[in-house]
Amino acid sequence: MCKSAAETTDVGAAAPLETSEYVMAEPAPDALQRSDERTITPPSGKRRWRPQWSAGVALIPAMTITIVCFYGFIIWTFVISLTRSRLLPVYKFTGFDQYVRLFANERWWTAMQNLAIHGFLFIGGCVVFGYLLAILIDRGVKAEGMFRTIFMLPLSMSFIVTGVIWQWVMNPGLGLQEAVRALGWTGFEFNWIVRPDRAIYTLAIAGIWQQVGLCMALFLAGLRNVDPNIWKASRVDGIPAWRVYLHIITPMMRTVFFTVFILMSAIVMKAFDLVVALTGGGPGFSSDLPARFVVDHILNRQELGLGAAGAFVLLCTVIAVISPYIYFELKKERSGRGH
Amino acid sequence: MKKFSKIAASVAFLSVGVSAGALHAQTAEVLHWWTSGSEQAALGEIRKAFEAKGGTWVDTPIAGGGNARAAAVNRMLGGDPAAVFQFSIGQQLRELADQGLLANVGDVAAAENWDEKLPPLIVKAAKYDGNYIAAPINIHGENWMFYNTSVLETAGIAVPETWDDFIAAAEKLKSAGVIPIALGGQPWQERIMFNSVLLGVAGREFYAELYSTLDDDLLKSDTMRKVFETFAALRPFVDEASPGRNWNEATNMVAKGDAAFQFMGDWAKGEIIAAGIEPGTTVGCDFAPAIDTAYIMTVDAFAFSALDGEDATPVQALMAQVMLEPDVQIAFNKKKGSIPARLDVPADSFDVCAQTAIKTLQDKETHLVSTGLFGVPSAVSGAIDDSISNFWNSADMSPEEGQAQFQQAISYAK
Repeated sequence: MCKSAAETTDVGAAAPLETSEYVMAEPAPDALQRSDERTITPPSGKRRWRPQWSAGVALIPAMTITIVCFYGFIIWTFVISLTRSRLLPVYKFTGFDQYVRLFANERWWTAMQNLAIHGFLFIGGCVVFGYLLAILIDRGVKAEGMFRTIFMLPLSMSFIVTGVIWQWVMNPGLGLQEAVRALGWTGFEFNWIVRPDRAIYTLAIAGIWQQVGLCMALFLAGLRNVDPNIWKASRVDGIPAWRVYLHIITPMMRTVFFTVFILMSAIVMKAFDLVVALTGGGPGFSSDLPARFVVDHILNRQELGLGAAGAFVLLCTVIAVISPYIYFELKKERSGRGH
Repeated sequence: MKKFSKIAASVAFLSVGVSAGALHAQTAEVLHWWTSGSEQAALGEIRKAFEAKGGTWVDTPIAGGGNARAAAVNRMLGGDPAAVFQFSIGQQLRELADQGLLANVGDVAAAENWDEKLPPLIVKAAKYDGNYIAAPINIHGENWMFYNTSVLETAGIAVPETWDDFIAAAEKLKSAGVIPIALGGQPWQERIMFNSVLLGVAGREFYAELYSTLDDDLLKSDTMRKVFETFAALRPFVDEASPGRNWNEATNMVAKGDAAFQFMGDWAKGEIIAAGIEPGTTVGCDFAPAIDTAYIMTVDAFAFSALDGEDATPVQALMAQVMLEPDVQIAFNKKKGSIPARLDVPADSFDVCAQTAIKTLQDKETHLVSTGLFGVPSAVSGAIDDSISNFWNSADMSPEEGQAQFQQAISYAK
């Protein structure tokens, strides 16, 4: 079950990435054709044992690392979360005490709520803007290479740098607000970063700015992979371009959407550096995220047990939120492949 | 041939390693988080004195207190401890001692009579099982109020003595177009200001009892509500761009005259000096308004890893002794902006603010501990920072709600 899941995600992720090479270079017609063939070729029904065995042997180191470093430490984190460990791991078990403390902690709930807001806005923003940009470029703008580079450029910066840049831009004393006011529009207000009720949205702004280029590239690769005959047919039928995108192309791009969703959710879950650099979790703890809560409690507060409990709850939340979607997607793909 | 020379080179390298091992007796690796200019210069004074006595200092700076503490602990657990490492004294350090990871420098302390020379609260925090497990090297004060004298003169106000005075003065400054309080809106800075208000409104006895007992009745008392009311009354006196600002930017606002007051620890003096101002002139220093005199202390200290049983090795003992030598204490603390941990060193070569502090601390009644690093367990310290910061930044939260939240946060953390 686990293995087949990994295989199918790989296919989903690999297809657009691979074709993106063709996009970056000249989209040669035979390349397109070849990838068409690839999707048409039925999977061979015969099982050949030998190559699989050698592949299995080759996988042993990776599997060992996965089992020890991922599953082993997940279990260890859970064990620690049942103890009263502070600075050092102490194996004196206190049951679910740390979870009781965690759930009574207002900052934790703010962080979890923020994760939901940030996740929704960030993933949604990246998908929508990334797809729109990709469509615009796909429509054949002039200087396509230049636009692609511009949109991809923020990706070359780390989240820390992104955070610092946007902190300056959004600082009401020296950034955008001050600049616009200096131009004469004195009533202009853009102080979200210092407002506890708005600070969380600034994270999404900076995050989308950085990641939208990657999403655009993935979508563009997918768009370039669309059979040109579909466009010819739609032109013959006189269907407006936006309807072709909405009703024909978008459903064809499901695997790309899936890839983007998975990539971006991973970024949301581990979002730590961006919030540290941009708002420091502030004002107060209004823009805190669970990852920062966990790191702060383990490293700065010597609350190993509480931090571990937070990490474990975070993991459970992620599984609960993501697994239905993955299951749904994979099921569809598998049943689609049977024919 | 090439292979042979490679082997020869690695043998030579190994033998260098061995001879370095022989020198080990005089060598101490010092792990610390002092990476800024003034901190480096201050630590350089200790290094100079240590090397003059024949020690070899291996410097391991790690930026950021949290990172450095984590690195020190990880290396200890990994079996490769730094001989001397900076750490905060208090519960966390005692936890390391519980695991047998620390060496004690009790012999040096007894020979130098630290018990008599250090403030009793610091003695208590630096000891485990009756023995010193750390060398406290300085005292920073956290209840300072820095102000721009020419701004106050222009507005025609005197340095406020009580919080009511302060609020009246701040109103006046605000209507004159000056930012009354330069605040860096980060939880620890907000807590420094809160603790100054707590001390100023409730008095030193209340402060000491509150943070040593964390008692629910005190947390729920009317006195505490008055503290929260006063603290809330300060909200309108900071500028909009305060959240997230670093403390030194806030200090510069006072130095430049954009703002009138800053409540900050005495490390702000370093920034004032860097701006070309002698502390006590254009930028004045005074204790934050209060009903009695007290000094909220925070301490920098170095601890010693157990390298050879629980007694310090000779080089660790030498380091401890050097750190608390009167001359080193003076040279180090003048550069650091703090005052000596030993209260018996002459004060006359220090600046005005430090002289005031040293004089104040001669009276033991004035000694209070900060909740930042060593006053309370770090879980409680974190809970205090969180709830104070949340209260300060939620303009619609009433003092009663703030007080209830504060009490609850502490009771869950203790």
